[in-house]
Amino acid sequence: MRGFEAVDGDAVAGLDDEERMVLARIVADVGLLLGGENFGFEPHSHPEPGDALDDPFLHLRGLEESIREPEDPAILRLLPNAAPTDREVADEFRRLTEGDIRDLKVRRLRRMWEQLSEDGDTWVVPGPEAMPTAGALTDVRLVLASRLGLRTDDDAERLHAEIDLASHALEADDEEVLPVDPERVWLGMLYQALTWLQESLVQYVMTASEEQDV
Amino acid sequence: MGPQEEFQAEGVVATRLDDVWVTLVWNDPVNLMSYVTHVFQDYFGLARHEAEARMREVHERGKSVLSSGGREKMEVDVQAMHSYGLWATMQRSGE
Repeated sequence: MRGFEAVDGDAVAGLDDEERMVLARIVADVGLLLGGENFGFEPHSHPEPGDALDDPFLHLRGLEESIREPEDPAILRLLPNAAPTDREVADEFRRLTEGDIRDLKVRRLRRMWEQLSEDGDTWVVPGPEAMPTAGALTDVRLVLASRLGLRTDDDAERLHAEIDLASHALEADDEEVLPVDPERVWLGMLYQALTWLQESLVQYVMTASEEQDV
Repeated sequence: MGPQEEFQAEGVVATRLDDVWVTLVWNDPVNLMSYVTHVFQDYFGLARHEAEARMREVHERGKSVLSSGGREKMEVDVQAMHSYGLWATMQRSGE
């Protein structure tokens, strides 16, 4: 994996096929979590009784639901409570904005998924799309962080230490005494890789905007 | 004392404080310092050093007030922060 660098005005990162596939998959997962479809998979095919596509109340039902706070802590982190001490303000905010925020996030994720699904060993992000892509990377990292239980800066430090331990155990070919749950290590390494990619993308954005100011 | 006199006596600071709202951005372990700085520059139009100072306040003190104004304007700012993936809330000033 190679971080983002400026190439002819675009931000370009290097990814092999497997990295590209893993990233595209997690991006699609987060998009689906937010209610997006068309990420290269068949739309959800779990029809509930009476849940026909031509149901005229389908969209209305979505409207009612969107007023409630999401139960999944990962989705709640993407669509947080805007006024924890004032229920009325929080509900009003959610009613007015949640649909638009969801749509924007799904759109950014879908764009990122499309880029990752193209052939080749580079990931090309056109300059104007760098910040929206950084935003989409944030959303994916927020979901992973929620699944990894990262609530404080200390939690994040602990995760890095756990992964270091696990990497040493792997290098020493000592997999049987792996001190951490392998799935947690895998998710944690994916989180670190996305963090690293995002950092390089933000550096690209900052350099580009400074050059513009000159 | 009529409203006009009261206004003159108390000055601009006393104009209906309950109508002034603030947007707060809270610390979280996920958002990168560079990203938060750039979002503050991009959205609030802050100079680089100013944006960095706000970012440090968020990181070290747990939160920072990024804007203040009417409730509707704060709703716009909080929505923008949530779109960027930052953890923002709004409340009446002084609460």
